[in-house]
Amino acid sequence: MTEHTTPVPGIDPDFGTGPVTRSLWSDAFHALRRRVDVIIATVVALFFAVMAAVPRLFTATDPKSCDISQSKIRPQWFDGPHPLGTDLHGCDVLAQTVHGARPSLLLAIIVVAASLLIAFLLGSLAGYYMGVVDAVISRALEVFFTIPFLLAALLILSLFRSVEFGHGLFAVMLPPAIVLIMFGWVEFTRYVRASVLETKNLDYVMAAQTLGASDVRVIFRHILPNAIAPVTALIPTRIAAIISAEAVLAFLGIGIRPPEISWGISISRGADWFSGGYPHLLLPALTCLLVTILAFVVLGDALRDALDPKLR
Amino acid sequence: MGRYIARRCVQAVFTLFLVMLLLHVLSTLAIQLNGSPALAYFGDRSPTEAQIAAVEARYNLDHPCYDQPGNPCLGPFAERLGSYATGDFGTDLRERPVTELLAQAVPNTMRLFAIVTITWLVVGMVCGSIAARYRNRAPDQTIRSFSVLIDAFPVFVMLLVYKYIIAVPVGNWMQDRFGSDSTWALLFKPSFSAENPWLTLIVPGILLGATGGAASFIRLVRASQLENYNADHVRTARAKGLGDTRVTIFHIIRNSSIPVVTAIGFVFGEALSGAVITEGLMNIRGMGGLVWTAVGDSDIPVIISSVTLIAVLFLMVNLLVDLGYAALDPRIRYD
Repeated sequence: MTEHTTPVPGIDPDFGTGPVTRSLWSDAFHALRRRVDVIIATVVALFFAVMAAVPRLFTATDPKSCDISQSKIRPQWFDGPHPLGTDLHGCDVLAQTVHGARPSLLLAIIVVAASLLIAFLLGSLAGYYMGVVDAVISRALEVFFTIPFLLAALLILSLFRSVEFGHGLFAVMLPPAIVLIMFGWVEFTRYVRASVLETKNLDYVMAAQTLGASDVRVIFRHILPNAIAPVTALIPTRIAAIISAEAVLAFLGIGIRPPEISWGISISRGADWFSGGYPHLLLPALTCLLVTILAFVVLGDALRDALDPKLR
Repeated sequence: MGRYIARRCVQAVFTLFLVMLLLHVLSTLAIQLNGSPALAYFGDRSPTEAQIAAVEARYNLDHPCYDQPGNPCLGPFAERLGSYATGDFGTDLRERPVTELLAQAVPNTMRLFAIVTITWLVVGMVCGSIAARYRNRAPDQTIRSFSVLIDAFPVFVMLLVYKYIIAVPVGNWMQDRFGSDSTWALLFKPSFSAENPWLTLIVPGILLGATGGAASFIRLVRASQLENYNADHVRTARAKGLGDTRVTIFHIIRNSSIPVVTAIGFVFGEALSGAVITEGLMNIRGMGGLVWTAVGDSDIPVIISSVTLIAVLFLMVNLLVDLGYAALDPRIRYD
């Protein structure tokens, strides 16, 4: 790949009349920033990221202070204390929607980050050392691949449903996070392993080995950078998948659970009331969920095209 | 070829064994941490010691290893494998045999999958072929943004929107307009009806097919056809003076269907997960619906045996796809 072009000392490789060579990354960046859909998707994703990080910017109401006598107020827009109305228990819908962004996004980020760590570790071990290590890791990949992601989550979370992990957002997020990580590393690991296998016999890797570079250095400096591009393209799509998985698990009562707040919980509570004349209980959370997922899917699609060396 | 098939079969059986071991270890750990699942049998009532012991004995939970956290309980695992081998998959909390429940459930799931597969093939082949034919022009751009859009709609949200926002008002209107047993009213009925399995499954099946995999199918068909558009044999066919339709159908579409066939195995897994959501939300009495209600009731025996069976199904489909790949593509020789 072009990152490894050897510059001649004293001469800028980009200087001169020949075609300018850029790295895969800067090519991708140039292609992406010209696309309107990518820019919109990035803005939307950033908007919800800010919402998750500092919900107070968007609402001053505490989502957990609910007054049952204020139950099911219709949206008041700018004329009252509850712009989007209140739910069954009298909680402010706007505040619930805004504060619901954090658990959904945080869960997705934790799961993806942990899966990536595992994938880079196991994928490079399996691809580089082959033999017994690879046999064991590949078997494990196959076993976890055989149980569909969502089914596994349903099974394990309902098995461990009554085990107490404590209170607070982090403790509530722990069981779904563990399960989603357990079955989320598989896809990434396959990609990492495949690109390690592809790269490790290339000349420049051989050269590094011959010069006496240690295994760790060869893996981290020379092999893994090649795996980053294909894996990066998967990340946004994966985040979108986790956000929607959270909604399913919350709907079944085995994901993030009340009294914590998440979009999934708001959707599962609001669904029954939609046709009963209270669409404002379902629509805000549902819209946020859909828009976020759409933004990440658009980003993932664009990244996949931009980072595909074949399409350069 | 024979040796290849044998090796793949042995591998599949071994993977299946590991899957069952994993499920067993997980459920054992859950029992050790949670306390006896026999309590779920009694619901809200508080049973005596003797009653619990009797239920534990019936569900083979009386082995002492279940009280020792960290013990993998290999003894009961061997027993369970033995009873699986004789076709005994245990009973649910209401003492109905799981095999009987599954036997009732499988036909509905198969119907759902038939509709899903037809949706994939029709949507994928038609949209993918059009997109490849008009590469980078308006139809291609439209289809690509359309596929991103349906990719973004999770199956769960799609069905939720359909059930609560569309089906209820439309179904009611159809009932008033055409009568409650008319084809139109049944088509938009928000829940499954056992008397009219096909009609009430069509819309959920199409939705599951469209959101759970159609997008990747379109992309795959497009990519594999594009490869063929510039291939030598297509240029030869055109040079011979063959018509455009003939070239497209016999030289491009036919040659690009091999990777499409192999994708079925991959997309099938997605559809299996989707089937759990679809059947659960739409109250379809299929394998997925069984898992969904069992999760609600904490009915562990049903969940474990249905997940095991679904894993078997998935392994078999993937095995068949791999073998089919070897048989279909003359360039691949495994022995």
